[in-house]
Amino acid sequence: MKIARLPLATLETSVVPSRARRKPKSYWALRIGIGILAFYIAVALLSLVWTPYDPLTPGIGDGYDAPSLAFPLGTDRLGADMLSRLMAGARYDLGISLTAVAIALTVGTTIGTFAGYYGGKVDIAILRGVEIFQAFPGLLFAMLVVQAVGAGITNVILVLSFVGIPDYLRLARAEIHAKRHWQYAEAARMVGNPPWRVAFRHLLPNSVGPVLAFTSINAAFSALVTASLGFLGLGLGPNTPEWGSMIARGQDGVMTGQWWVSFFPGLAIMGLTGSFYLLGDALSDITDPRRRQ
Amino acid sequence: MSGVLLEVENYSGAFWSPTNELVPVLHQVSYRLKTGAMTAVVGETGSGKSLVALSIFGIQPAAFVCTSGRILYRDTDLLGIDEKEMRSLRGAEISMVFQDARAALNPVFTVGRQLADVYQLQHGGGRSAAMAKAIEALRQVSIPEPERRARQYPHEFSGGMAQRAMIAMAALTCRPSLLILDEPTTGLDVTIQSDIMELIVELSRQRGLTTCLITHDLGVVAEICDEVVVMNAGRVVETGTTEAIFTAPTETYTRRLLAASQLLEAAA
Amino acid sequence: MSFVNMSVGDAILQVRDLHKIFPVEGGRRLVAVDGVDLDVAAGETLALVGESGSGKSTVARCIVRLIEPSGGEVTIDGTAIVPLPTKRLAGIYRRIQMVFQDPNASLNPRMNVRQVLDEPLRLHLALSGAERAGRVRELVEMVGLTPAHLERYPHELSGGQRQRVGIARAIAVSPDIVILDEPTSSLDVSVRGQILGLLLDLQQRLGLAYLFISHDLQVVQHVADRVAVMYLGSIVETGPVADVFRDPRHPYTRALLSAAPVAQWGVKRTRVRLAGEIASAIDPPDACRLVGRCPMAQPSCSAGKPSLIDLGQAHAVACPVVVDRPT
Repeated sequence: MKIARLPLATLETSVVPSRARRKPKSYWALRIGIGILAFYIAVALLSLVWTPYDPLTPGIGDGYDAPSLAFPLGTDRLGADMLSRLMAGARYDLGISLTAVAIALTVGTTIGTFAGYYGGKVDIAILRGVEIFQAFPGLLFAMLVVQAVGAGITNVILVLSFVGIPDYLRLARAEIHAKRHWQYAEAARMVGNPPWRVAFRHLLPNSVGPVLAFTSINAAFSALVTASLGFLGLGLGPNTPEWGSMIARGQDGVMTGQWWVSFFPGLAIMGLTGSFYLLGDALSDITDPRRRQ
Repeated sequence: MSGVLLEVENYSGAFWSPTNELVPVLHQVSYRLKTGAMTAVVGETGSGKSLVALSIFGIQPAAFVCTSGRILYRDTDLLGIDEKEMRSLRGAEISMVFQDARAALNPVFTVGRQLADVYQLQHGGGRSAAMAKAIEALRQVSIPEPERRARQYPHEFSGGMAQRAMIAMAALTCRPSLLILDEPTTGLDVTIQSDIMELIVELSRQRGLTTCLITHDLGVVAEICDEVVVMNAGRVVETGTTEAIFTAPTETYTRRLLAASQLLEAAA
Repeated sequence: MSFVNMSVGDAILQVRDLHKIFPVEGGRRLVAVDGVDLDVAAGETLALVGESGSGKSTVARCIVRLIEPSGGEVTIDGTAIVPLPTKRLAGIYRRIQMVFQDPNASLNPRMNVRQVLDEPLRLHLALSGAERAGRVRELVEMVGLTPAHLERYPHELSGGQRQRVGIARAIAVSPDIVILDEPTSSLDVSVRGQILGLLLDLQQRLGLAYLFISHDLQVVQHVADRVAVMYLGSIVETGPVADVFRDPRHPYTRALLSAAPVAQWGVKRTRVRLAGEIASAIDPPDACRLVGRCPMAQPSCSAGKPSLIDLGQAHAVACPVVVDRPT
């Protein structure tokens, strides 16, 4: 085909927006959230190769040793080192909640995108199913299922992700459903994209903001449920250094003055969920399209 | 007819950018609105035509800062008075009609109630008397069955009907001397648009209003306006009578804008 | 400007008896498109004009199956688009393309110009990466942009530049016909002229046919060969642009033409007025859609919806009253 250059616009006076993006106010929240989370991950990784003592071995101290130079965070009733257990616990609590979130995010968003784009009876059926399921409290559901199928890391992860799926599904579905008739979706169809490509390549990337923001809220919830299951003795084996079960093991000491056994795992949980919430806040601000140009 | 009701004098202003720098958007804007005349302020996106109008009405965006100039209304500098004084001018002296009438009306109150509220605010009196005035105003802007329409909510109005109601509110329920219309017919169908413009002309004549029409549509301007102010990129390019602007424009930009509006090839 | 007859043979796009009915609450029916026939010949521009609620955009969307039509037939060069199984639509989109009204909304905010233009090439044509890159560069230059624009995202372009990208996307796979859905209505007047110039230029160079959807009569007069005027889901008048604009016959066409202001000093219009506003398209009676608003209405107008009456020279009007009583 022969090409001739057309004259460029001469009268067009409209100002082309600059490339610079508005700097979001919530950067500090993002930084703190990422900082805390990075610290937890580092500790979890470190615990794989080094802890001050073996976290699973009791009787290193006499039992209920107060924090000291030898045991910076004290020991529990059985004399196991609290710092070592706390470090190893990061692996469990962080690993379980993040894996569960990743599964829920992937499965929920995929089903939600599908339902939202195609609409119709399948969409309605999926939505109603989700609503019925969500009428049931998540923690209670998790407890019942773990009780029924038995404890173990895999089961806890599967239950947690199952509880998380409906929220991702609904968020993705609502976003995609609202946007499927937007002009760029129609344009994408006309360019010859098959429906799944319109949904996943064009609509989904423009809909991830709310989903991502929710991810951190969900991660915080998952961390809390993991700890709750551990606390209730439903999650992992009794000697597993999981923060929730560590709190449970220390609760007698709270009455008699050995506060550190429950306090430090509690602090660890609080720090983790707090960092997730900070991240969620920052992400929902940053991904809000109104804050972009 | 030769008096000047409002004068914008060397009005300059800037927007705070996200990086906290002042970006100038208005440069020494000066124009006059002659008493009793209909003046058009024309320009394209980014010309600043609406920004000046919003400044006259005292509702410029928060990120906007005036850096110099005055806006004189009957010898009062509108930029120098406080919000309370400005409020006493709004409606009583200066009224404004916006582009999207349905968005400008409150969705949870009936149209009649909103007009009646404005009437009570401006003139006092009882509620039923105000409602009667509201219905009368709707009748005067040719809304059919005004009694029934007054009991309806804004979403039950078409775009054209809603704009008629807004005009009733701005020009009849209020008794202003100056009426500012910011793109009042943009987005309306052409038949409706012509009807609305005719209504505006008729009301202005009847009430001896001074009108300022902010628009990008030179067709409307040619037809109904007495004076034209051409703006581009925050500056006043040219001012003159409509006849002069359309038949003997002196500035290149005006000529290009006219040619573009008539879909003629732009004369270089 | 060529005058093209409405004969079946040379039409590249043919629309027959197109219907679109939306169900509304209470079991009622909103008749958005009510038996529309259209022919667009190769290389010509047919303008479909009307106000909001006329159904012109619905017609465009039904033709390319962005909305599923309720009935009728659409063929492109003899190949059916309506009816056609959805799976085979992709092949049709090599022949017919669309430029959307709002270039802001029709470009994916997360794709840069290169990605936007590369996508149709990748999906439709068996080209190598280098060939596609060459074609993309060719396309941006065809629409008056430069290769420097390729890495830009939509928010980094002006409105006119965005619409140029939308046009480049539409012509990427060399279609026979492009539907232009109000391509200039969200642009400033100065940019409008440039975009129209570009469209006319591309039509000449590539032999494109256009179906031009618009409410802007001035633009239609400028770019179209023939025009079809729609009101409440039906075509009320059609013919060569010159004839229809010089001698509009249908009362609605007259009202519409006389309402458009002209940007010239001293032009006086004599308006033909219609009573009230557009009627509801829900469960319309079997009568002329303009009954109740029309200054020329007769009792017979309420007895059945009139169909187009040929006036000769491809000019046709759906109003027996004006045909019987020429002015």
